[in-house]
Amino acid sequence: MTPFLKTIRWILWKDLVIELRCRETIASMVFFALIVILIFSFSFSMDQQAAHDVLAGMIWVAFAFTGMIGLGKSFSAELQNDCLEALQMAPVSRGTLYLGKVAANFAFMFVVEILLFPMFVILFNVDVVEDLSLLLVVFSLATAGLAAVGTLFAALTVHIRAREVMLPILLLPMVVPVMIAAVEATKGALNGDPLSLYRPWLELLAIFDVVFTIVSFWMFDFVMDA
Amino acid sequence: MSMTAISCQHLGKAYGHYQVLHDVNLTLAPGECFTLLGPNGAGKTTLLKILATLQRPSEGHYEMLGMNGQTDRDALRSHFVFLAHSTHVYDDLNARENLAFALALRGQRPTDHDIKMALDRVHIGAFAEMKTRHYSAGMKKRLALARTMLARPRILLLDEPFTALDSDGTAIMRDYIGERLSDNGTVIMATHDPEQARPVTTRAGRLRHGTLQEIALDSCVRRNDGRDMQPDDAFS
Repeated sequence: MTPFLKTIRWILWKDLVIELRCRETIASMVFFALIVILIFSFSFSMDQQAAHDVLAGMIWVAFAFTGMIGLGKSFSAELQNDCLEALQMAPVSRGTLYLGKVAANFAFMFVVEILLFPMFVILFNVDVVEDLSLLLVVFSLATAGLAAVGTLFAALTVHIRAREVMLPILLLPMVVPVMIAAVEATKGALNGDPLSLYRPWLELLAIFDVVFTIVSFWMFDFVMDA
Repeated sequence: MSMTAISCQHLGKAYGHYQVLHDVNLTLAPGECFTLLGPNGAGKTTLLKILATLQRPSEGHYEMLGMNGQTDRDALRSHFVFLAHSTHVYDDLNARENLAFALALRGQRPTDHDIKMALDRVHIGAFAEMKTRHYSAGMKKRLALARTMLARPRILLLDEPFTALDSDGTAIMRDYIGERLSDNGTVIMATHDPEQARPVTTRAGRLRHGTLQEIALDSCVRRNDGRDMQPDDAFS
């Protein structure tokens, strides 16, 4: 394994081990998402048809805001004992630190999404789609986009006192394309539409992921230096 | 090997209108230990953070081991360790995991035996598997020292290295600094305790209002009247 990949693996390992031990990030994400799902569930309890029409939107509102919690903790956790300084002084390219953090954030968000989706299925009486793998592809692509941009902005706002407020304000406008594409593709997958109908949204997600991962990879050096 | 380990030329740092460092010039050869004295807010930590590539100077430039501090930062980072006020320790990892992670980022892969030896040397080997959340400040400092030992840097940047350490820890820290100097390493140490630093100090300087003035070692650590210098004397 190359030093580049080793560094990414170590950052991922460190974040996962810490999370497995303290469970702060995933627990708060799941708890928040459950509240959001329950509120949606009560709001639409009288009108199942309306709920079905906006289900994909509800799923991504819950996932996006839940992801925001995880992203916010991603770098603020490094402030303990000034561990962020140690990362800044590490003799590795800033890009590898970025990719390690993206991998960890992706893992947290994806795990939470997998845990929460059954809640949507149960509370909104969704027919379980025949091909779940397509839905997983949508979730993966959209979550990768959120993690790619979110990790950069989480690093950018980590030293700001009001970072919990600033992160969503900066991040949400940037991920509007991801959200729109994710909602449309999820709607298609849940309805069992032919792939050709929502393939353009998947392609948009893939392009967004690649472009923003590359841009953020290069920009991370300046963000860490700032 | 370059004959100059650290060279600062007209280094300055300003935070807005507040000039923290002004025209700092310093040249250190391998094997030298420079003790940096000065009151709180004099700029000691700022100078160390600039050398540790955590901050950029507002003016001037510096080189370490012949590498430019502004343009060769990535290469430079593998040659020094900055032992800061904060210990850079993850509270939810144990000592062994903290060391393995920190050294992995430096491209090093210490064996379990290496880690055990380092932890034993700083006398926290018995707590290797304990989460550092439960460590005292002194134990965390010892862990940071163990990390530094395993990294074997050519340049050591130390900010208040004796703080939180008991007499045993202080002796271990001093022994290690002496060992690095014998191995042609270079040390810059900011401290409020010149007495603790005296045995390893080869040169000293005082930062006052952002200006560095080199002072004679004797006047730094021992007064002419023979009375041991008190920490505050160094700032007068």
